[in-house]
Amino acid sequence: MYPVFYAQFLKDKRKPLLILLFIGLSILATLIFGNSAWGSKTSVPIFASGPNSEEIEQKWVKLLNKDSDTEYVISEEKTAREQVREGKRDVAILLMEKDYRLITASDMPNIQLVEHEVHKVFTEEAQLQAITGSADTAELREEIDRYLENPPLTVQTKSVNGGELTSHNMGTQLLFGFTLFIAMFTIGFKVNGINADKVSGVWNRLNLSPVSKTNMYSGHLLYSFFIGFFQMAVVFLIFDYMMNYEIGPLHIILTIAAVFTLSSVSLAMLVAGFTKTPEKFNMVYPSVIPLIPIISGVYVPPGVMDNPVFTFIADLFPLGYALEAMMDTALFGAGWSEIMLPVSLMLLIAVIYMGIGINLGERERC
Amino acid sequence: MLETVKLTKSFKDKKVVDEINLYLHAGESVGLLGPNGAGKSTTISMIASLIRPTSGDVKLDGKSTIQNPSDLRKVLGVVPQEIALYEELSAYENLKFFGKAYRVERERLEVRIQEVLDMVGLKDRQKELIKTFSGGMKRRINIAAALLHNPRILILDEPTVGIDPQSRNHILETVRELNETHGTTVLYTSHYMEEVEQLCNRVYIMDHGKIIATGSKEELMSILSSEDTIGVQLSKRSEAFTDKIKTLPDVLQVEQTKEGLRILAKKNHNLLSNLVHAAEKEGIQIMNYQVEIPSLEDVFLHLTGKTLRD
Ligand SMILES: Nc1ncnc2c1ncn2[C@@H]1O[C@H](COP(=O)(O)OP(=O)(O)OP(=O)(O)O)[C@@H](O)[C@H]1O
Ligand SMILES: [Mg+2]
Repeated sequence: MYPVFYAQFLKDKRKPLLILLFIGLSILATLIFGNSAWGSKTSVPIFASGPNSEEIEQKWVKLLNKDSDTEYVISEEKTAREQVREGKRDVAILLMEKDYRLITASDMPNIQLVEHEVHKVFTEEAQLQAITGSADTAELREEIDRYLENPPLTVQTKSVNGGELTSHNMGTQLLFGFTLFIAMFTIGFKVNGINADKVSGVWNRLNLSPVSKTNMYSGHLLYSFFIGFFQMAVVFLIFDYMMNYEIGPLHIILTIAAVFTLSSVSLAMLVAGFTKTPEKFNMVYPSVIPLIPIISGVYVPPGVMDNPVFTFIADLFPLGYALEAMMDTALFGAGWSEIMLPVSLMLLIAVIYMGIGINLGERERC
Repeated sequence: MLETVKLTKSFKDKKVVDEINLYLHAGESVGLLGPNGAGKSTTISMIASLIRPTSGDVKLDGKSTIQNPSDLRKVLGVVPQEIALYEELSAYENLKFFGKAYRVERERLEVRIQEVLDMVGLKDRQKELIKTFSGGMKRRINIAAALLHNPRILILDEPTVGIDPQSRNHILETVRELNETHGTTVLYTSHYMEEVEQLCNRVYIMDHGKIIATGSKEELMSILSSEDTIGVQLSKRSEAFTDKIKTLPDVLQVEQTKEGLRILAKKNHNLLSNLVHAAEKEGIQIMNYQVEIPSLEDVFLHLTGKTLRD
């Protein structure tokens, strides 16, 4: 096993560019998408029309801005529409007495986030109105707030380092998502070394030597694991120590990363077993892998991806579980017991895919 | 020492190797010839225990190797048809890798790597990456990698395909030296008839999965025909002389050529003295007399109806 592992290492030592590139890419992607879309405050123009437009605007602007990262600004209808049309703003909102319309020309994922937020505020208001039976909910609101200030039962939710808890942090989600996703590529290309060896004849050569098949596989797979994990660890360490992102307790995050790496190695082995040649692998793997973060909801807030077919397919891949476990750890301070389920499911995936993958790979090529 | 017994391999329903019996005595150098797709590589893979025969057996010193190939693998070196090396690593690193895989002990391996590099003549290029090598140099390292564990039996699958003459000569010399001075038993597969003629004591000819002929070079040539072709170069042309030759015993056919005559005679003829006698009478000098030896290539063509290099 050791010679096989070492030979793979030598190859990468001579050409470390790909790994470094992927590490850089993980960081860059997080910075670009994480910050531009969600990290800094985005502002959304809002306006109403008609005779009592001012009243409507004043009412909603308060409610919308109440607990939001997004800034809702009252503006002229004409300028708002123009800005959207010219692409200066992604979205504007037309307010009505009890309803709203999104004005948008694109379908960027952050619009879903805005929609989500606005929808929540309007339904809450509608509920309150239904309770009071009138349009004036201010009194009830106050009452609820007062009640909540002094509730019979307090649950303190704080983030891991004691700061205030944000409801959901897309930046962190993207950090994890991109890092895991890009690591899958590194892992896949390394596992594909098995197919390359089988086609080049190196595999047969080793087969004739005293090195056992088990050791040939484990040499390759262990190296793929090692390099995939190394890549993720470097990215997380950079974000944690150099860029001060809140990614939660490192030992738990790295454990999840390790289990994810293991199941990703298995997934790559499954594809390698199916495809048999490095060329076919290079066609199939990179076209399938990018779909996984999409259906696993990496790019959207939780709950947005609710198509049952997609979620079922996403459940067959480790990415969703790893992301969930990491987010729970980073944002809600989940401990070992809370991440047991996603971790076990990833291990299950690892065992099953590895079994099938190696079996397919060992079938005589005919 | 090594033999196959009714060795057969079918892929799906197609018999690619069909009940092949062949043997290698210790120290022998044996050729395996056959056109593309004859089943040579498949046969070699089965002998090397890389693929399982559909039926039949491979025996080393009388013991079957199918169930437990480890004894065979220890003494066997295989040079595959493809370049089975890591292109991104240097020649030295490749050899070290395969040497370690073969569990050659560390200090012994360093010495051995230099020995095999010397044998294939690439000692001074060992630090360079395989991918920068010419086809011929790659093939030479491909052979070197099979020699690290000092195999008693060496199987080479078309080791000289598509390479420059210099590398080719080097490879042939290496194989000859291994066989003659180190006593390595060699099974040599090739498309090139002259290589096999040069290197091998004995030849198997294979087509459509079957051994269609076997024997020493001379034995194989005798298959070709029961006739000899003799070229005679004469000082001048003479119809009378030609007619005279036609009547000689054992002569089957006479044909005039530019320089003289081409005579087809029965094998083991006694033509020369009669010919000289007749020439003297006619006042003609015989400038040259040559029995044209058929090549293995001709044998091959005769047996398979195909040339080797298509
Ligand atoms: N794994 C396989 N599955 C199906 N058919 C195969 C397989 N391997 C070889 N064959 C077929 O078996 C036949 C013999 O192949 P083989 O490689 O043994 O020939 P060869 O004599 O070595 O030819 P070449 O001179 O081209 O190397 C060919 O027709 C080939 O297509
Ligand atoms: Mg072949």
